[in-house]
Amino acid sequence: MGLKTLEKITAALESRPAELEQLRKQGKKIVGWLAYNIPEEIIYALGLIPIRIGQGGDGRLVEVGARHISTKNCVFVRQVLGQFAEKTDPYIKQLDLVAIDATCIQLYRLEELINFYFDYNTVVLGVPRNFATKEGHEYFRKEVEFFTKKLELFAGVSLEQSRLEEAIKIYDGIREAIKTLYRYQSLDNSLLSWRQVASVINAGYNLDRERYLELLQELIQEVEANLSEESGTREVEARIFLSGSLIPPGDTKLIDIIEQLGGRIVGDDLWSGLNFFLNLNIKEPTPYGVADAYIDRVPHGSLPYLDLKSDGRLANLKHQIKEFKADGVVYHTLRYCDAFTFKAGETKDVLGNIPFLEIHTEYSGSDFEAIRTRVEAFIEMIKSKKEIAELV
Amino acid sequence: MAITAPFSYPESIKEKFIATPGLKFKDGTTVSSAEIWEFMTKEAPKRFPYAFDAGANNMGRFSDDVHFLSGIKRGYLTLTLKDRVMKEHAAGTPTVLVQGGQAMDAYYAAGGIPVRPGLVMQWARNMHEGLSLRQSETLGLNILESGRRKISIDACNQIAAHAAIDNKVVPIDLIAPFLCLRCSDMSFLVETHRNREHDIPRYLVDYPVDHENKPWAAEYIATELRELIAKIAALSGRTITDEVIFNEIKLENRGRRIATEIAELWWDAENPPTNSTDFFGIAFLANDFVGDPVAAVDLLEQSKIEIEERVRNNVKGFGVPDHAKRLYICGSCVGPNAHHAQTAGAIFVGRDDSWSCISVPVEEEGDPYLNIAKSMLAYPYEQRTEKRAEWTADQVKRSRADGVIFMYQWGCNYQSGVARMISDIVKEKAGVVTTFVEVGELGRSEATEQSTNRVEAFIEMV
Repeated sequence: MGLKTLEKITAALESRPAELEQLRKQGKKIVGWLAYNIPEEIIYALGLIPIRIGQGGDGRLVEVGARHISTKNCVFVRQVLGQFAEKTDPYIKQLDLVAIDATCIQLYRLEELINFYFDYNTVVLGVPRNFATKEGHEYFRKEVEFFTKKLELFAGVSLEQSRLEEAIKIYDGIREAIKTLYRYQSLDNSLLSWRQVASVINAGYNLDRERYLELLQELIQEVEANLSEESGTREVEARIFLSGSLIPPGDTKLIDIIEQLGGRIVGDDLWSGLNFFLNLNIKEPTPYGVADAYIDRVPHGSLPYLDLKSDGRLANLKHQIKEFKADGVVYHTLRYCDAFTFKAGETKDVLGNIPFLEIHTEYSGSDFEAIRTRVEAFIEMIKSKKEIAELV
Repeated sequence: MAITAPFSYPESIKEKFIATPGLKFKDGTTVSSAEIWEFMTKEAPKRFPYAFDAGANNMGRFSDDVHFLSGIKRGYLTLTLKDRVMKEHAAGTPTVLVQGGQAMDAYYAAGGIPVRPGLVMQWARNMHEGLSLRQSETLGLNILESGRRKISIDACNQIAAHAAIDNKVVPIDLIAPFLCLRCSDMSFLVETHRNREHDIPRYLVDYPVDHENKPWAAEYIATELRELIAKIAALSGRTITDEVIFNEIKLENRGRRIATEIAELWWDAENPPTNSTDFFGIAFLANDFVGDPVAAVDLLEQSKIEIEERVRNNVKGFGVPDHAKRLYICGSCVGPNAHHAQTAGAIFVGRDDSWSCISVPVEEEGDPYLNIAKSMLAYPYEQRTEKRAEWTADQVKRSRADGVIFMYQWGCNYQSGVARMISDIVKEKAGVVTTFVEVGELGRSEATEQSTNRVEAFIEMV
């Protein structure tokens, strides 16, 4: 049995480009944004339409993008650049402004290239590498304030506290709903899968946020209503946790392989996945309050942190693995995504006895079989281990 | 296999050389030219034979222009780095891993010796003496690959310096670079040290992107510089006052000023007064000061006098081809082989990487931390790419370059990302031909044909 709300979300997504076209005709402006620390609440509160951009998994677009950047840049960056070069994506061709934060410096480079080669208006939000220090916080506050002023000029309106409060309420609701959906997908008696939650998150990048929140709440009700009474009856399964570089919309290679081989993804700490919705508590409805909340949430792997023991990203990873009762971690790294690639060995060390498989890949299909073989062995190993444990 | 005779300085220039001034050092000692001559002709060829390999592929080969006497002293400072740093380190001076192409004022002022990744590797290779070029390079590559095995094959060559620290090949007391737009790997590589057995303290001086007209960016860096200096001072035991920092700033400003004047002299000369190796070697002194700003500035002053004399007498540097095609080099960490380029008929007239931090003096009054921060933020190389490219185009015009080569190292994500954009802008603004080349041979002199071919083909086209 399928979930009806998922069909509604798919339908809403299909009609969204045309809806945006109409809204633009009525004078609305669309802000495409990318990265991890853009405070979307501020964009929304200013009456602008935020769209999170960036897709993966298309080797052809990677090649198109590489004409303007280099093969030493990560494939995601190359593909997004390819999307801007072609301007056939129904969202990218409608953008009035592109906002990128400098959490990942390769994305900052992307912003420069989009601006120079493809004539898009762009705005950059600086992000401190020393994000945990007092001076880093102070710097980010000023950056968010400056970013807000630039958006105010672009929107032609000033940021009203009441509008920001409303926006924060909507976004808090979305974050809570996504966390709830993650909990449900990890249950044995739920109709919802991780893959479906990932699709729901991806849909949310483009849909109107109020409508999206309604759909999320409806989905939660539907999932709750359809929880099976039988639990724990599934055969021995390999519960896989995904970590590492982002897995953006369109990049399904690794997910397909894991699922085809009988693995069940039960959680992630991806910045394109759950992490984005965690621990973001805006205590004060002002640009400073928003800045503090964003910089204090689960840190992005692109921001270096020099003390292993107190690293919030790793603490969160360990917590989520436990929370989702994962049997093993597939650590996915994109070629030339140094932020996550350089941490692979360390993450394995930190996780100790938890089975760990690093998959270093690109968007081409040439390594499909090699990945398949490695994932298959990994899943078999986990299953055997669990079967033996059950026998004992 | 043919063996090239090692490079040596001819006895015929000895008398003239030892009549020139020696070099002064920051600890108050001096070395005479006679002592430098002894070192460069007797001791160094035995201890560091690789440096005297006369093969054209040897990127670190000494200049053939033996009559440019400052060039010999430049070689002396390079080859004595290990001895000088080890001696100072043994006496309690902290060694600090830093980023290249950045202001060194804060590090030296706090009583440390800043060593960028390239110098760390030179130092590491020199810890084993008596090695041929191949042996020395193999040693370096082994260190490099040990780093890549531990971290990632995607890492650029800088990982070798971090592996040399991890493997305790060289004693580093603090890992505390500036972050900036030149390098993709530094911050992540510094982070990897948190999962090592050693407990070398670490610190990062963040470098905000897109910082133009944002006073808070300078304030952020200034606060970090206070922290950095306090950390180094805690290791060096020095008391750091504003006056101490300003004294260092003044000294390094003098170096930057002289290097800029040398570049101006060189560019305006009818004939290039030195070859590419000497020109870059001397100008680079004001970039990292080779472990001793006093000695580096002293040598810059001597070099300027020598170059002025050559320009006055319209002397062309030895090795400079007739009607040489003038090439401006962009990118970072790597550059084309000067000897091959000369053979193909070209000379290098500038380099955006090294020239950037030399071109910005630090204000000598006010808050020294804020002044250093402001100068760092003013480096042309670290601006938004469009602005950086416009500065580069000005440099290209000023140096009367005929073409531009943008070269970047394999594994470099940030320079590679803008290679085409800079090349396109410079081509349009300066009206010269440009190309960009990725190379993977940093640290070795074998299997370099691919990039040599591309550079030579470009020179032919120019």
